[in-house]
Amino acid sequence: MRETAIEVSGLTKDYGGGRGVFGLSFAVQPGEAFVILGPNGAGKTTTIRQLMGFVRPGAGSARIFGQDCFAGAAQVQSQVGYLPGELALMDDMTGAAFIRLMAGLRGQKDLSYAWQLCQRFGLDAGQKIRKMSKGTKQKVGLVCALMHRPRLLILDEPTSGLDPLMQNQLWEILLAEKQRGVTILLSSHIFEEVERLCDRAALLRGGRIAAVEQLGELRAKASRVYQLRFAGEKEAAAFAAAWPGAAAKGDWVQLQLSRGEPVARLLAMVAQSGVQDLQTRQESLEDMFLRMYGGRNE
Amino acid sequence: MSGALLKKELRANGLLAVIFLGVVTLYGSMITNMFDPKLGDSLNAMMETMPELFAAFGMSNPGASLTQFLANYLYGFLLIALPLVMILLLVQRLLIRYTDRGAMAWLLASPTPRWKLVLTQAFVLVAAVVLLVGYMTGLCSVLAEVLFPGELELDRFALVNLGDLGLLLFFAGLCFCSACLFQSSGPALWVGGGLSVAFLLLDMLAGVGEQAEFLRWFTPVTLYDPVVLANGENVLPLVGLYLGAVVLFAAGMVVFTRRDICV
Repeated sequence: MRETAIEVSGLTKDYGGGRGVFGLSFAVQPGEAFVILGPNGAGKTTTIRQLMGFVRPGAGSARIFGQDCFAGAAQVQSQVGYLPGELALMDDMTGAAFIRLMAGLRGQKDLSYAWQLCQRFGLDAGQKIRKMSKGTKQKVGLVCALMHRPRLLILDEPTSGLDPLMQNQLWEILLAEKQRGVTILLSSHIFEEVERLCDRAALLRGGRIAAVEQLGELRAKASRVYQLRFAGEKEAAAFAAAWPGAAAKGDWVQLQLSRGEPVARLLAMVAQSGVQDLQTRQESLEDMFLRMYGGRNE
Repeated sequence: MSGALLKKELRANGLLAVIFLGVVTLYGSMITNMFDPKLGDSLNAMMETMPELFAAFGMSNPGASLTQFLANYLYGFLLIALPLVMILLLVQRLLIRYTDRGAMAWLLASPTPRWKLVLTQAFVLVAAVVLLVGYMTGLCSVLAEVLFPGELELDRFALVNLGDLGLLLFFAGLCFCSACLFQSSGPALWVGGGLSVAFLLLDMLAGVGEQAEFLRWFTPVTLYDPVVLANGENVLPLVGLYLGAVVLFAAGMVVFTRRDICV
């Protein structure tokens, strides 16, 4: 039997006033990429802190490769690469000195892979961390998270504050790690960005898991959103009245078609209605979660 | 202990220690140089005009010997207050800043167990205090030997330094323990730092007059009396300071190992 990478059961940490996480249960299998999705304040970081052994669970348990995350933190950490959300490195060191310190704390003597990673990321580790841009700091963090070839990567909002180019680069790096068989758990509040990498998602809301879904299956359930612009509000309202589920807003009408619903019928009707403009996009993951599991945080 | 972290901290805090060594060198040599075997009388006369002020700074009984002179004017206040500032700065840099800015996450995310991390930081703090007092002992002994050969009673002077070290380690333990105890940086620094300063103030107040004398029972600084130590007396109470230091450091480390650290 293969060992579960992460096993969380009944995990609870109550910070009072409804903050914290309550009764979380999920498991991540080796080689899987799992994302905890949720708006800010949903409990993503609290969950990760418990997985990293920074914080002791109030109730329930969190295990990584069979070891308790708090009691066995030191053993767990040797197999985990971690990238914190608030990327606070030690400002007065150079990137290289910081990488050496982290390797030292891991008891790692051979740094050749770390320098290889620096090269791959185009990172000049010689400068002081204080003088680095956010993206460059993130690269230093990534080198520290990857240099010991961990079996599991835990990343807290890894793209926050990065420019799109750097974000793209980050996903490439993580995809390559996944292909190497590394298990990945990350948190994000941006639904779209994780689709490329992740197999499954847990939707966290108000400290509770609203749903755990295969992203592939979810994608198949996605409907298409059509936005139509008419000459005036009157025409828009008339069209909206004729199509069930359509909503008019000014001279725009928005409607959704699920898979298998007749696009041709819509297009035929649109063609006769004197439409000015037509936009179409796939329903976002966020909208889909909201459609399937109800409203936002109360 | 973690060798990698130790190396980092020594490198990062070496300059701070050197600056403090420089400052105490300045005061140490100045005050040693001020000693004049004949000056004792005139200083006594000055003290009689404003006894409260002198007493507040622990300078109550300026004896005639160089040992008593140094115990009084150097070890009574300066060599408590200046090292205390260094202790506060070090505790800030060794623990509080890491938690406050979030860099602690990197230390905790390493396979080095928490007790090893915190033991390393405690070691750096204790080493800095021991270095400072040890350096002062050496400096004053050499200076005294050069300027006033044969005047300093080395064994008694060593006792004064042993007392000073005990008190400073106690303060270091207090500040360290408070830094381990609290998540937010304000209380982490100022519960320990504030208590240390308050203890020092209580001791100064207790020295002023008879009405305030009872205050001495509320401050551990009472256990350290440099002038009496310079006479070779009152050595036993120092055990209390050293024991207190050990307990405080140990408590801090235990708390740090078990506590929730939100980084």
